Amino acid sequence: MSPVTAAPATNGAGSAPVLSVRNLHTAVATPDGSFDVVHDVSFDINPNEVLCLVGESGCGKTITALSIMRLLPTPPVRITSGEIVFDGNDLTQLAERQVRDVRSERISMIFQDPLTSLDPVFTVGQVMTEVIRTHRDATKAEARAMSIDILRAVGLPAPTERFDSYPHELSGGMRQRVMIATALVLDPEILIADEPTTALDVTVQAQILERLRAEQQDRNMSMLLITHDLAVVASIADRVAVMYAGEIVEEAPVDELFSDPRHPYTQGLLRALPHVSRKRRELVPIAGLVPPAQMMPPGCRFAPRCPHALEQCWDEHPSYEADGSVGLRCFNPQPF
Amino acid sequence: MKRIAARTLYTLIVLLLSSIAVFYAIRLSGGDAVSARLPASASYEEREEFRELLGLNDPVHEQYFRYMGRLLTFDLGKSLTNNADIFDMLTEHGRNSLILGAAAFALVFVIGVPLGILAAVKRNSWADGSVMTFSVAGMAVPNFWLALLSVWLFASTLGWLPSAGCCSTKQLILPAVVLAMEGIALTVRMTRSAMLENLGQDFVRTLRAGGLSEASIVGKHVLRNAMVPIISLAGLRIGQIVGYALVVETIFGWPGLGQVLVNAVLRRDYPVAQFFSLVLIAIVVLSNWLADVGYTVANPRLRKT
Repeated sequence: MSPVTAAPATNGAGSAPVLSVRNLHTAVATPDGSFDVVHDVSFDINPNEVLCLVGESGCGKTITALSIMRLLPTPPVRITSGEIVFDGNDLTQLAERQVRDVRSERISMIFQDPLTSLDPVFTVGQVMTEVIRTHRDATKAEARAMSIDILRAVGLPAPTERFDSYPHELSGGMRQRVMIATALVLDPEILIADEPTTALDVTVQAQILERLRAEQQDRNMSMLLITHDLAVVASIADRVAVMYAGEIVEEAPVDELFSDPRHPYTQGLLRALPHVSRKRRELVPIAGLVPPAQMMPPGCRFAPRCPHALEQCWDEHPSYEADGSVGLRCFNPQPF
Repeated sequence: MKRIAARTLYTLIVLLLSSIAVFYAIRLSGGDAVSARLPASASYEEREEFRELLGLNDPVHEQYFRYMGRLLTFDLGKSLTNNADIFDMLTEHGRNSLILGAAAFALVFVIGVPLGILAAVKRNSWADGSVMTFSVAGMAVPNFWLALLSVWLFASTLGWLPSAGCCSTKQLILPAVVLAMEGIALTVRMTRSAMLENLGQDFVRTLRAGGLSEASIVGKHVLRNAMVPIISLAGLRIGQIVGYALVVETIFGWPGLGQVLVNAVLRRDYPVAQFFSLVLIAIVVLSNWLADVGYTVANPRLRKT
């Protein structure tokens, strides 16, 4: 289709992004037709940064991530247009074989539920060894040594014994560490973490986030972290992109987003967030519900729930205006 | 390990109880062993004398203990009808049955599992449709009818295979396929649904994210997960084959244990009927025990409990 026009949006350091998503549309085919679950999404992941993708359940965060990994459940879900540029290649156009070379070796992904995300009939070590040997020329002994090293690095107690454990012998936090270790063992350039702490206890959540942040910095790796939890965002993100109903509505460096959110939806999310250090104030829920994909309003998708909606917001679909590290999809941005 | 020990104990109890049941059932089923052995002209005294000789006038539980005592010293006795040594019958007919049963058992998995994988991987294609139609037919058609049908088609009409007899490879084909058919049909369905269920699991996505090839994911990881229920029910397939062997061996004139047992029961040949019933029960019970062990080995989640 169109050539890679993606003028790489520069971040503060002025280096080119490691991954650029451009005008991504991902649709689900239903008996009633095809509907976008990800609509015109564009963002960059810069070197050595943590970008958080935030939004309510069902807003298209996970589908965006699975689109990058080319792990969509096709059919019925597939990428209909757009580009995902990584290392000069458009990932959406690569053959399955080439995508497999990227997975884990260059872009890794970890998932929400560590209880069901590990193969129950193979040991931790068998799977890690297979992942390593799929991508690298390593002997079994070398793969074992690599695996045990990374298991130790991510803070798994007794890594040598755990190498021969089955997933059911491990706790939830340990399984998530195993998944992280497997994802990092080949030293990828990007780690995509889809709600990595949602299924874990709060104390374990903090440990896992800390570990992810430490690994990201040690390895000069970029990370795309998907979450609905703004507390997680505050603790780990460099930059945040807020998604609503399949679209990115606002993007900003983390401090800016929390102190000066401009999109009414982002403001709503922050007002709905309890905060310990602030004076006790009322939590304000966002009125209404996310419209279903089949019945998206023709104008701004947030207009039906927006306290500041203008006539224009109902009639016209706002385009996404990006400028450097900030972006906004709104006709009537408000001061917070 | 605890699980296996418990199953072993349970298996022994079942064997003991079924030996009692078999012993009583044959004696309570009416008919008379004596008339099978003595000529019709034998007098009342001659019959009584013979009954006394065989110990048939003693209470049944005494006969049972005596019989079990002999069994434990491997004294299997002789046939009442032709005085043949039961041990010799076991080795000769047992060998034939083993050949037929093993061939059928192998066919169940060699044909059933690959067809099931094919149907799962090519879900909703014409291949899947044909395999599933075949599977429904295989379960619906009773094996005695399938036996007659296959004799008519492959022996009488096409003349490709012999209709009966033992024990060449050509003679083995029809009875083995007929004996295996229901097991194949069930295994196809089970493999397909277990493969599909596991293909939809989260761990498959994790493996894909690891960059593993589809061949390894489907052929190694998903298949190994899917084999857990199939292995656990393999013992039931043995039981099914043993049960159907009575019918199939009789139709195809295959001189195996099933045929011997059917004839012995018809003639009230107590020692033979008793012993071969016990043999078949033991095979079924032991194969279930084996299935349990296999299930435990195939499923790491059960190993350490």
